[in-house]
Amino acid sequence: MKTVTLTIDGRAVQAREGEKLLRVALENGIYIPNLCAIPGVKHPAAACRLCFVEIEGYPRPVTACTEPVVEGMVVSTRSPRVDRLVSTAFELLLSNHRLDCATCPRNRSCELQRIARERRFPLRVKRLRKLERNLPLDDSSPVLRYDPNRCVLCGRCVWVCREKGTGVLGFAGRGFERKVTTFGDVPLGQSGCNGCGECTRVCPVGALTGKEV
Amino acid sequence: MHLTEEEKKVALEQTGNILESYSRERGNLIPILQQVQEKLGYVPLVAMEEVARHLGMPPVDVYSVATFYNQFRLIPPGKHQIKVCMGTACHMKGGNIILDCWKRRLSIDVNQVTPDREFSLERVACVGCCTMAPVTVIDEEVHGRVTPTRVDGLLFSFGVKIPKGQQKEGEAIGRE
Amino acid sequence: MTEIFEKLQQKSRAVWQSLRDRPLILVGTATCGRAAGALEILKVIKEELVKHGIDAQVLEVGCMGHCYAEPLVTVYKPGFPPISYGYVTAGIAGRLVEDFLAGDDPCLEFALAALEANDMVPALTDFPRGMIERPIILDKCGLIDPEQIEHYIALGGYAALATALAREPGWVVEEIKASGLRGRGGAGFPTGRKWETCRLAPGEEKYVICNADEGDPGAFMDRAILESNPHEVLEGLAIAAYTVGARRGYFYIRAEYPLAVERVKKAIEQARRAGLLGTNILGSGFSFDVDVFQGSGAFVCGEETALIASMEGEPGLPRHRPPFPATAGLRGRPTVINNVKTLAYVPHIIERGAQWFRETGTAGSPGTAVFALAGKVINTGLAEVPMGTTLRQLVYDVGSGIPKGKSFKAVQIGGPSGGCLPEAALDMPIDFDSLSQAGAMMGSGGMVILDEDDCMVEIARFFLDFTQKESCGKCTMCRLGTRQMLDILEAITKGQGRPGDIELLLELAEDVKSGSLCGLGKTAPNPVLSTIRYFRDEYEAHIKERRCPALMCRELIAYYILPEKCERSCDACVGSCPVEAIYPNEDRIKVIDQQKCVKCASCLEACPPQYKAVIKLSPPELVAERGATNRG
Repeated sequence: MKTVTLTIDGRAVQAREGEKLLRVALENGIYIPNLCAIPGVKHPAAACRLCFVEIEGYPRPVTACTEPVVEGMVVSTRSPRVDRLVSTAFELLLSNHRLDCATCPRNRSCELQRIARERRFPLRVKRLRKLERNLPLDDSSPVLRYDPNRCVLCGRCVWVCREKGTGVLGFAGRGFERKVTTFGDVPLGQSGCNGCGECTRVCPVGALTGKEV
Repeated sequence: MHLTEEEKKVALEQTGNILESYSRERGNLIPILQQVQEKLGYVPLVAMEEVARHLGMPPVDVYSVATFYNQFRLIPPGKHQIKVCMGTACHMKGGNIILDCWKRRLSIDVNQVTPDREFSLERVACVGCCTMAPVTVIDEEVHGRVTPTRVDGLLFSFGVKIPKGQQKEGEAIGRE
Repeated sequence: MTEIFEKLQQKSRAVWQSLRDRPLILVGTATCGRAAGALEILKVIKEELVKHGIDAQVLEVGCMGHCYAEPLVTVYKPGFPPISYGYVTAGIAGRLVEDFLAGDDPCLEFALAALEANDMVPALTDFPRGMIERPIILDKCGLIDPEQIEHYIALGGYAALATALAREPGWVVEEIKASGLRGRGGAGFPTGRKWETCRLAPGEEKYVICNADEGDPGAFMDRAILESNPHEVLEGLAIAAYTVGARRGYFYIRAEYPLAVERVKKAIEQARRAGLLGTNILGSGFSFDVDVFQGSGAFVCGEETALIASMEGEPGLPRHRPPFPATAGLRGRPTVINNVKTLAYVPHIIERGAQWFRETGTAGSPGTAVFALAGKVINTGLAEVPMGTTLRQLVYDVGSGIPKGKSFKAVQIGGPSGGCLPEAALDMPIDFDSLSQAGAMMGSGGMVILDEDDCMVEIARFFLDFTQKESCGKCTMCRLGTRQMLDILEAITKGQGRPGDIELLLELAEDVKSGSLCGLGKTAPNPVLSTIRYFRDEYEAHIKERRCPALMCRELIAYYILPEKCERSCDACVGSCPVEAIYPNEDRIKVIDQQKCVKCASCLEACPPQYKAVIKLSPPELVAERGATNRG
């Protein structure tokens, strides 16, 4: 495949033509916030709305996960418009996320914390109202713990459960009620989950975590 | 809600019959679920498992579809299905007042069934009869220009007598 | 090929002619007619005809657009012009048979209008509405039996398909491009360009889909067309298929439209039998067939990629575009998806030419627009008017103005993706571009007229509540952004708004618009943005004074009975109250127990007009003030 050269934040970068911009940036050590991007997936979900960038010649910011790179592309990962969109998307996610970092098993290894650090966003809900859902914690599996109130609906667990696990995880519901769950909402312990733990390794936050043995 | 063994048996049998006329393409999923609901009045989990097996897909993906679309009911509906239109025109002409009336008279919330399984209550987005607003659809029959008194009248026509101040008793079935 | 089709035309014309030999009665039995009792009228007419021994034909037809006057009956009697009768009751139906058909009295006291100009009865075209309307795609609706293909063919139907099949597909693309036809689903994308992209896209297997997932609350024109003249749309779909090279097509119809589904299925069946669908259509070598797919109740499936997802057995989650469906759509194949109305124009354009189509409408939006008038307007129903007609003409000439002497406040146009336009916009000529400049959108043509009793904050809340419930939940901006906006609007309508809420709404609206994945999220904030733009003072009254100026928001109003106006011996309000909140005091003057009151307005409607004793007050605290004065 053809190799192209593009510029990201003033740095010349080489990449295979057609590769998604987000991937190229991350592989070259340029961080762009993201949650739902899964390497190698044919159709990017483009769901989390965090990877906005500016591309020269484009009228408005676009998501880097959906944009194939082309020769001569000039990208900047920051701009007032990008920062505004990303900060709104981030605060929206926080408004619907149980923010108890101190007791969360993913404290200090959480992707939300990383985004806040990289982009200097506060880790609290300032402008918006909290939209907590108070869903029950699923503690039924001997090896996993699932707290839907921390879930950001990135879909990584659903994907990995199909690739490497038993395929018991999926999405259910619509709109604000959308959630990651099992068939008929049965607890993980009775769902046919074999406890491989792959989901806990891809979960960017503290929604799916392993139990200490 | 727990189904009786008999209900499960019927559901499995009917689903099996329906599946015979469909190829194993995933694109058939929604038409199949619609058929199941038409036959049973709802789509129980046992049927979803059967459908998943037929189409060779994870059961959770069938669940995903069944919980995404408004049309699919996961619990048996009442004998009479009351659908209150909440489209724009109906809203402007007091659709929510009519919905409140039904809720009050039946003592159930939207998406619930009365304890005697006689009535279930749903809200629908728009049935396209905007000029007759506010509209309530009962068992496919469209009733236009509904008023609170008309609600009582309609219930009366189903043999429900509601003396003033008294409502149907018992616990409602269904999700919030 | 021409020969086969000519035979079909001759046969159809003979069927149509045979209707004219004896009296003919048309009864509109589309969904709106049925809701008004048309099936009962149909039964009465048939019984009366038997009773009087009259040899007449009775046909079930679709919707003429005069929904306000349903049930609607049209009578053709030799020697008389065709006359339509509105608001038909069983009694009127009986008299039409007895006096008009058995006798010679056309019962003009019940006549709505004649369908042709004549010396006896004013015709539709003599009324302001008839002068403005220019039916193209509604021209046969309500005049033919939608379940008889011969009627459609006799009036020129399927001739465009025959014409198209005799030419190169490239010619059809050029003709549609030259006509300037834009998608009637809302966004107004040029149809010709969409077809061309799909036609040129590589691939053997291609599809065409008619999008009849009409989900806008307050819009019903697609339903009416499918119920009244399904062949017109089917013909358009077949021409689209020939043009792009598709052998398979689908009607994607909402499950909430059972009659439309039934009539489209029948139309497909009849077209197959007539050799207008299936293999080697009219001997042209082109083969094409159609299936019906029923949507399952998700507004988001009106969005092309979500519609495709649902046809593939997935939840209706939109996908990022590009790729566009025209190059990679259903099952990854090039797919054209067009709205019902867009396809309905196609046969007319092919038959009469691109130039003819451009003679109506504006330069940027040629042709007509079909609007569904609903809400606070006298003549609700469907109207097809040239693009560029003003809102004032639509509301006052076509719709005959606002009922009950109330004053016009705004028109909500384009459904949940559209916006509210104020009185100042009444003289704006409406087309795709002028509407989006004004902050609204053509949408699919839903038009809800609002009067002084309608609260604009509540309208914005209603539409956002709708989009929020219909959001698929995939992307952050729409799932949580619309929810945040809805929470703020709900607080405002309950009198719990906070200073800064309007600014926050504006900020969120901008971000949801530019940051959402699909069209649903990108347009969801429009009703909020347009109501703040034109009616900011109403928002402020709610937030700062806890007052609803239109007296609509239930938490901010109270019902109150004026003691000086209450007629002691009348108990109308007491009986009307569904919760027994009204009681007579020691002077037999009626009083509302504010704790019990559910604010259903029954008492206000029950109070006889000569007393008008029930009023609404906002903020509700005003009741206490009044009450104190009364007792003192």
